[in-house]
Amino acid sequence: MFGQLADGFLALTDPVTFLYLIGGFLLGIVFGAIPGLTATLAIALLLPFTFGMKVADALVMVAGIYMAGIYAGSITGITLNIPGAPSGAITTIEGNALMRRGEGVQALGVSALSSAIGGLIGTVVLISLAQPVSSLALLFRTPDKFSLVLLAVVTVAIVSQGSLLKSAVAMAIGLMISTVGMDPMAPVGRFDFGSYHLIEGVGLLPAVIGLFAICEMIAQSGIPAKLVQGVSAAQAARPRRRDFIPRREHLRQIGVLNSVKSSVIGVVIGMLPGGGASMASFIAYADAKRGSKHPEQYGKGSYEGLAASESANNAMCGGAVIPLLTMGIPGDAVTAIIFGVLLIHGLVPGPALLGANFPLIAPMFAALFVASIFVFLSVLAFGPVYLRLSQINRGFLYAFIGLISLVGVYASSFSIFQMWMALAIGVLAYFLRRFGYPVVPALMGVILGPYFEEFLRRSLIVSEGDPTIFLRSPASVILLLMTAAFVWFLRIRPARLAAAAQKGEGA
Amino acid sequence: MTRRITGQVLFAFVLLGMNTVYASQLLAMPLPFATGEPGPAFMPVLLCGFVYLGVLKILVDEFRSPEPVPDTERALSAIPRLGIVGPLAAIALISLFVIVFFYAGYIVAAALYTFAIALFFNYEQSGSWGRSVLFAVVTSAAITAFGWLFFVKLFGLYLPMWEL
Repeated sequence: MFGQLADGFLALTDPVTFLYLIGGFLLGIVFGAIPGLTATLAIALLLPFTFGMKVADALVMVAGIYMAGIYAGSITGITLNIPGAPSGAITTIEGNALMRRGEGVQALGVSALSSAIGGLIGTVVLISLAQPVSSLALLFRTPDKFSLVLLAVVTVAIVSQGSLLKSAVAMAIGLMISTVGMDPMAPVGRFDFGSYHLIEGVGLLPAVIGLFAICEMIAQSGIPAKLVQGVSAAQAARPRRRDFIPRREHLRQIGVLNSVKSSVIGVVIGMLPGGGASMASFIAYADAKRGSKHPEQYGKGSYEGLAASESANNAMCGGAVIPLLTMGIPGDAVTAIIFGVLLIHGLVPGPALLGANFPLIAPMFAALFVASIFVFLSVLAFGPVYLRLSQINRGFLYAFIGLISLVGVYASSFSIFQMWMALAIGVLAYFLRRFGYPVVPALMGVILGPYFEEFLRRSLIVSEGDPTIFLRSPASVILLLMTAAFVWFLRIRPARLAAAAQKGEGA
Repeated sequence: MTRRITGQVLFAFVLLGMNTVYASQLLAMPLPFATGEPGPAFMPVLLCGFVYLGVLKILVDEFRSPEPVPDTERALSAIPRLGIVGPLAAIALISLFVIVFFYAGYIVAAALYTFAIALFFNYEQSGSWGRSVLFAVVTSAAITAFGWLFFVKLFGLYLPMWEL
């Protein structure tokens, strides 16, 4: 394994592969930093291009986007008080407070260093755990696999923001979209309405482009520019590059233990289906505040809080890739699209992937590691530019996104019908979003739907319709108990506590 | 007392309508477990039932919630009622792009589409036609050329270029 991993790092010395890493990294920075655009959208736009790439180049570029995109969400959060991505929301609280205090440049430096540390720890954990978890996952039988997919489906639905019911309905809509086309177990078409286009089913690419790129463009067209682009508080400052290096007193204040602990929290949350960078940064921030000697500084510009949030959300990247590569379960939207990149190149994510195909995946591990280092180097190189990133012209941006995504759908399928499909899904996603139905569960439904249905039906065929088959295997029982525990701890308990608190206030 | 029908309620009815269209296809499939196995209709039946129940509960909750306060239009944009006009314009422009792409090819469709989108966003922001048109022309030429270079030259993918 170590030899193959070394080959993965060696692959990055190929100038073309290295350029893909740099290109992906810069794309991730731009998309992560601009409010409204995310790493997810950047990878979705890249998806059609990966058809023409070598698999290692595609994965290396995706890794660069992922690491940079998660980090860059904090850039405009710190400078403009508008997080570029949801993962930067917690960082924004402390980072922008520091910016208003005149310490924005140091905040950007600390944010980059903490993200780099988190990213490195996450990648080391990924490299260490990927193969053992794969070996374990090979022992799973069909009912166990169903319980695992059920855990992913339920967790993604319950961790989404807003109404649980709307999240569950969005998930069901995604699962319904996945049922269009040929039945996975019998040679019959379903929900094709007699159209030969629909018999092939809804492709992953039109679904991803529709749910993210088209939906985002439609949504942005209804938002006034004045609401999106704040006045840059950073315009007055003209910092030098060395000003971005974190000062010793700030590093002492943060502490090594705090960074490592936040990173471990990020990795663990990343491994849970539906965890995501936002939840990782929030929990690490809350934990850091709980154990801090200066909790009163939180919310007013705490380097400790800023570092905790940033370490956790970048450590999440390595953690989130573990269930994808080892069990074929994407935990969030980005890993769901990486799932698509792997499928496009004939690699099926799951326990067998890291066996024979490890040499193909190793460059991605190496890229995550190197991209983590780039995160810190980038603030030294482009720090002054970061302060102006959010000022890109919206007309240019959305004309670019619209054209590349639609032509990308055509180029991948040579089908005008798939372009209409992307538009239809985009319009549906826009209305879902507008009325408070989260879009990510719908995407997870589209991706996990075929597995969910196949494992469920196969299990019931084996048991002749007896649903207790899911309670006969220890692995399945553990996974079902975990599902129940997540529902209890993430939804029911907090709701009861909130209700009790409200009752207490009313009395 | 009559209650105002909100967008939230209308969308819930649209979802119910779409679910009914989906359900209509179930009639062409054998019943689950008719042959002793779950069969192709098994999961769709479960999903359909769940969506009916879920959306009906959302509707009930919506009718029980307090009457929403209508948004007051804020003069932040050069385009009136941007929240409605913007998305409609974006959907119309994407539809036109697909149609023109089919009949006239990439160059014409991409140039017109990127021009229109750039014009819309720039006019919305600045309120100045002259400056917006100028910027849209430059944007359109740059992005159309970039798309051609990227898809056709760099990745060797086929695009219908001129179909007129």
